[in-house]
Amino acid sequence: MKLAQATNRRRFLAEAAIGSGALIAAPALAQSMVDLHLPGGPSERPMTSAFPGKGNMILQRIHPPLLETPMSVFNGDVFTPNDQFFVRWHWADIPTAIDVEAFRIKVHGAVTRPLSISLAQLLKLPRVELAAINQCSGNSRALFQPPVAGAQWRHGAMGNAKWLGVRLRDVLDIAGVKPGAVAVRFGALDQPVVAGGPDFAKSLSIDHARDGEVMLAFGMNGEQMPLLNGFPVRLIVPGWYSTYWVKMLNDIEVLAAPDDGYWMAKAYKIPDTPGANVRPGQKDFPAVPINKMIPRSWVTSLDEGQAIAFDRSIPLGGIAMGGDCGVAKVDVSTDNGKTWYKTVLGPDHGKYSFRRWDAQVPLTHAGPTRLMSRCWNTAGIAQPMTPIWNPGGFMRGNIETTNIVVG
Amino acid sequence: MKTPSIGTLSFGFVGATVVLLLAIGSPNSRVAPPPAAPTAPPPPSVSARGFSLASTSVDLPTDEGQYPAGPHADVINANCTSCHSASMALNQPPLSGDQWTAEVTKMREVYKAPVAAADVPAIVAYLTAMSTKQPGAAKGKAQDPDPKAAPDVSGGSG
Repeated sequence: MKLAQATNRRRFLAEAAIGSGALIAAPALAQSMVDLHLPGGPSERPMTSAFPGKGNMILQRIHPPLLETPMSVFNGDVFTPNDQFFVRWHWADIPTAIDVEAFRIKVHGAVTRPLSISLAQLLKLPRVELAAINQCSGNSRALFQPPVAGAQWRHGAMGNAKWLGVRLRDVLDIAGVKPGAVAVRFGALDQPVVAGGPDFAKSLSIDHARDGEVMLAFGMNGEQMPLLNGFPVRLIVPGWYSTYWVKMLNDIEVLAAPDDGYWMAKAYKIPDTPGANVRPGQKDFPAVPINKMIPRSWVTSLDEGQAIAFDRSIPLGGIAMGGDCGVAKVDVSTDNGKTWYKTVLGPDHGKYSFRRWDAQVPLTHAGPTRLMSRCWNTAGIAQPMTPIWNPGGFMRGNIETTNIVVG
Repeated sequence: MKTPSIGTLSFGFVGATVVLLLAIGSPNSRVAPPPAAPTAPPPPSVSARGFSLASTSVDLPTDEGQYPAGPHADVINANCTSCHSASMALNQPPLSGDQWTAEVTKMREVYKAPVAAADVPAIVAYLTAMSTKQPGAAKGKAQDPDPKAAPDVSGGSG
């Protein structure tokens, strides 16, 4: 970030702070309301731009922040703007000031040379840049039927960015991983607000941590990342759900035994069944930590509930993701899944990135119309028609429907 | 910035490793501060190889939102607004009494919320009454496969 941009940013932050101060008097910081069209519960949410470094976002929760990206954002560039990238924090004790000269990342545990790495040192290491989607494990949870408890996201708990940073493997190699190490645990600056609450930390197997793709990112779409997205450094785990993408990363611990901490052993567990799917209400299933993402796709050129004039054919566009590999193809339907049409894929920014798709598709009739898109990834996995269910509301990936009205 | 080639990387890696180890050897070493701007000084920053990180300080909005009036609203407002906004509970889909009991139990036992055991029935009663009033509750009968089914008390809520 250049000096002028930094100054502008600071001025923006100052204005945002003044703005939020004025808004606090108003209930819930609401600037307008949006209907998320949720089937199971309260569907309206405020829109807000009162959060630092953030533009207009769907307000799921002020404290600690849960901010969802409006679907229309995904119809723009395949890279989500930093100021509209979703925000999710577990604990409310979030540092609001970061001193880049004082900040250190500790590397310790089963290593031969424990490290305390400054940002100046981190910036001197060999760099990599990678496009990757960061998607919450519970993205689209509010569409689960029957409904499940948890953050009631629609589809906007995800974003795609170009992450600039250093390979975790390089940092681990400097520290020297001792033989017998099995995992690496990542801790951060945020803290529980109550004594004894489980401090947020996640871990990866040692082989995954050293795969050369997992990185410590300090750049997001060419700039330092907003504080609410994890400034100054967050972990990037390409192809895996966001729970592993630890924000404000300041502690890397190499473990000689599996991580039995709450956030790995108890939370973010999925049924160890095909598609993480169980019968609604079922509780007696083996569970494993959530891991790789799966293919998904969305129509973004038309909004849920939108009315359009009848035409024999209409342009349709959207985004797709392969999950832990690339997008092979996307088909679309305008007749509730009976007929499917090919789409043209946009530029390939790498297998972990969103991929734009576009098509010109026929409309057969006026009235309520169900638009669908279906992604196949390069491993040959296609989105299923039927939604899954599990008690955590994790890993939704079925073909999504956008309901429009053709007049 | 383009991803460097493997050759560039391995060369850079050796050099950077030396730099890093040398730098770690002298804990008092600091990057020289940038020259002072003529007007307001910029925030402290560190930079290398064309990328800078500037110190950041923000204010996060605070939440004055409360649970709406109703029986036991005083109890839930006293217990369930400090760790998280009221909106977290108010935005939930209709849940049964058993499901709300499981949620409150998780907050107390897993997340160590300082909620007195004596307050739990009032909190659960408030939340269950709130769920009953939701439009989804009446028509959602067929969607409720097992009234005894509680959400996984040990699960995260990502």
